[in-house]
Amino acid sequence: MIYSLNAEEMAQLYERISKEFETYGTVDIQGDITFSRIESYDELRIGRSDKPPKEFLIGRNENVLVFTEPNKKAVFGVMSCDLKGFYIMDKQIYGKDPFYTARRDNTVFINYVCTEPCETGFCSSFGGPLLNDYQIQVINYENDKYLIYADDAYKSFFEGFKQASKEEISKVEKLMHNFNMKQKKHEVEGIENRIKWNSKLWDEYAKICIQCGACNYSCPTCYCFDLNDVGEERFREWDSCILAGFTKTSAGNPRESLASRLRQRFYHKFVYYKKSKGEYLCTGCNRCTDDCPVDIEIKEVIDHDYNNE
Amino acid sequence: MAQISVCPYCGTGCQIVVPEKDEPFSVSGYKGSPVNNGKLCIKGYTGLNYSFSKERLTYPLFNENGNFIRISWEDAIELAANKLLKIREEFGPDSVAFQSSAKCTNEENYLMQKMARVFGTNNIDHCARSCHSPTALGLINTLGTGAATGSIKSLEGTNTFFIIGSNTTEQHPIIGSKIISEVKKGKKLIVADPRKIKLAELADIHMQFRPGTDVALLNSLMFVIVKEKLYDKEFIDSRTEGFNELREEVIKYDPIITSEITGVEPELVYEAARTYATNRPSAIFYAMGITQHIHGTENVMNVSNLALITGNLGKYGSGIFPLRGQNNVQGSSDMGALAEFYPGYIRWDSDKIEKFAKLWNSTLPKKKGLTLSEMFDKAADGEIKAIYLMGENPLITEANIARVEEGIDNLEFFIVQDIFMTLTAAKADLVLPAASSLEKEGTFTNTERRIQRIFPIYKPPGEAKPDWWIINKIGSRMNLWKEYSGPEEIFNEIREAIYNYSGATYENIYPVGKQWPINKENPDGTEILHTRSFPLGKGKLVPIKFNPPSESVDGEYDLIMTTGRNYFHWHSGTMTRLSQILEREAPEPYIEINSEDAYERKIRNGQLVNVKSRHGEIRIRAKVTNLVPKGIVFIPFHYKESRVNLLVGENLDPISKIPEFKVVAVKVMP
Repeated sequence: MIYSLNAEEMAQLYERISKEFETYGTVDIQGDITFSRIESYDELRIGRSDKPPKEFLIGRNENVLVFTEPNKKAVFGVMSCDLKGFYIMDKQIYGKDPFYTARRDNTVFINYVCTEPCETGFCSSFGGPLLNDYQIQVINYENDKYLIYADDAYKSFFEGFKQASKEEISKVEKLMHNFNMKQKKHEVEGIENRIKWNSKLWDEYAKICIQCGACNYSCPTCYCFDLNDVGEERFREWDSCILAGFTKTSAGNPRESLASRLRQRFYHKFVYYKKSKGEYLCTGCNRCTDDCPVDIEIKEVIDHDYNNE
Repeated sequence: MAQISVCPYCGTGCQIVVPEKDEPFSVSGYKGSPVNNGKLCIKGYTGLNYSFSKERLTYPLFNENGNFIRISWEDAIELAANKLLKIREEFGPDSVAFQSSAKCTNEENYLMQKMARVFGTNNIDHCARSCHSPTALGLINTLGTGAATGSIKSLEGTNTFFIIGSNTTEQHPIIGSKIISEVKKGKKLIVADPRKIKLAELADIHMQFRPGTDVALLNSLMFVIVKEKLYDKEFIDSRTEGFNELREEVIKYDPIITSEITGVEPELVYEAARTYATNRPSAIFYAMGITQHIHGTENVMNVSNLALITGNLGKYGSGIFPLRGQNNVQGSSDMGALAEFYPGYIRWDSDKIEKFAKLWNSTLPKKKGLTLSEMFDKAADGEIKAIYLMGENPLITEANIARVEEGIDNLEFFIVQDIFMTLTAAKADLVLPAASSLEKEGTFTNTERRIQRIFPIYKPPGEAKPDWWIINKIGSRMNLWKEYSGPEEIFNEIREAIYNYSGATYENIYPVGKQWPINKENPDGTEILHTRSFPLGKGKLVPIKFNPPSESVDGEYDLIMTTGRNYFHWHSGTMTRLSQILEREAPEPYIEINSEDAYERKIRNGQLVNVKSRHGEIRIRAKVTNLVPKGIVFIPFHYKESRVNLLVGENLDPISKIPEFKVVAVKVMP
């Protein structure tokens, strides 16, 4: 259903949801937007968070020998690029990883859709900020006006709120169309066929990459982990495929060189996942580039003319 | 709610955003920080697990004939105070030594040195001795201030980067990445390093010189600059003194002659000298490759010479950047946790220390203090009876550790304050459990002099307490002071003690810090030092004569070993080796050996070898690589399994007393 709310009603919506869910949201820490527990709607600051909300579903470093039923959580302020990451990851891990699955089922993400392109993101190259998959999707399209797409599962929260009119919906659709027109497009389609195994890019990147892991840790679609036994516990920790130890085996390392590891990351994103799951493992959030201390550009990997190197 | 803190590893001082514990735990870089602009390295991302380790110390422990028994804080404080007082009564205050820590806050270091001095001794020192004591002494001698002259941000204005003795991308990754970003834009990069470090690969010029020949190399660069008149005459005339004497010395170092010593082709020296001197502003970066030598202080002064004669000081984008190792080694040195300096680098024998007598309401010791290595030496000789050590692990990190161990074993009373039961703590009579940097309040000062705040985001485990709390209690129990109410009160006393800190307040250094000097004249702090004059007035040019390192190869010990850190671990590994990811990347000690050397000795990659020096022997796995040139081997010092410092002798720089960690003659046997 599509609803139309004003700011006051948004606060009411928050109240209703927070009665049933533990509430989290984006807050402002001295100019940085980050996810945190919130107690009231006023604390919420909408903006691009410094890291994706991945941890709500995949623990940064957790003992996997104990499974506890997760609390029901509601996370306000999730950007479309981040939310989309979960829907893409679902194809690989939902139903297989019990921790992810249980949390996924118990978490509702309240997606706030950007109405203006951000400085570096390129989500419109992946379809733009208005998503087909969502639980509750909020578009603050005018000062006091919110258009909300809500899955019917959450109908009860919207009792008494008015449904959106055709005009309102078309206003939002126009806004989204303009958004997509304004943002520079990168030709993602077909990258799996254009990208080259022996491209000089990989060596160029290897020369400057300092193996900080930021591109993995900041990515809303990177889900790889490592398992380690520490005493009685078995920890699952976020891993980085840029590190040599990621693929090291007792028989050696199939990706000994940094260049081959960097290439692997892009091939996983743009070739392997596409071929096996039908989707690119990228949402255009550009965090991997924003957080890269040596400015390795994911957009360059997409735009690069592999045939004329 | 999440809070801003500072990464506890290197001296870059990256600001991090740390969530509360009941939230998903992952840190991110603080985007508002002028230091790291939201970026972090792998240690920042995955290296903070140690704070939550089950191995943390959680209550005070007393060593009863080899068994540690749990005691209460009251008993621990009583015991520490009584023992120290009793030893002072019996043997005098100079029979006790205090060792502070560059991992601890400014407030804690200030309090530790105050404890020593009010107790009655200048026997206060810490690990800065083994890293940048030559910087403090060298640059204070030539410029008047022993710190980086510019800011990390100012590197945007640099046209030539000269890296000598710093593996910047591994040891100060965020500064290293900043250099990479600038070089990508077309800036020039000169690297002088015996190893083929990452920056060497990107460099316009890589001078792969022999360890310990820095003076010859720097003099040969100045030879070219003098010969071709590439120096900044106006700057030399108006801002420096001693140019003629310096010229007399450096003209002896024709690159054709020095190439015999350094192994660097004369053409490379010419090209490097011309680039550095003419493609200005130029900035020099150095770290342990310059300082950890018997001529460490002279190396630093020679770096200063080079910058001075080319006018590469006092301007945006130019300068000298001694890259500080520990997160707070700049601060711990500023606080005067050094044998020869009171807070603010006031010499122990100067009249100016009167101000501390007043501030602390105490008489001050008249005797020169012992430096770190001397403390253990004198302990072995029986002159030092007790050591109170905070947050260091000398049984791994000091040179000649066999002698350190002898010293510790000979102590009457040994107090160790740490977050873990380290190799060193295991030898203590009294172990005091401390809080980590995520669990306490205070300030750190980074490598660009930026004073930044940290906050108690988590509760310490068990009964562990912040270091300031422990020192505060023991100090007041010994009647050295009236108990402080908290870190802010100590911070405010620091502002009185150190003029360069006087303008900093808790409010104005948050959320982003400010760079000292921050005082009446510079209320907003100071990004670039020495813009108009030097604290000394004129910059002093000091001619430096080349002398060979303390050790050289002979028929038996035929390879030169140099030591250092790797990217994934930190010092004695007590923190990083608890991070599963970091440990996976570098799980065991190794020796890097050139393939030709390995071939000659019939050593295969991955084989266990014995490494023997004139001082000791260890067994370690060989990593055959051409990152090191023929004739040179490298061993990181993180690993307690094979402590490389068993091989390092006790050859000290006569000025700063830093041991020569970087040049040790060894033989490698399969």
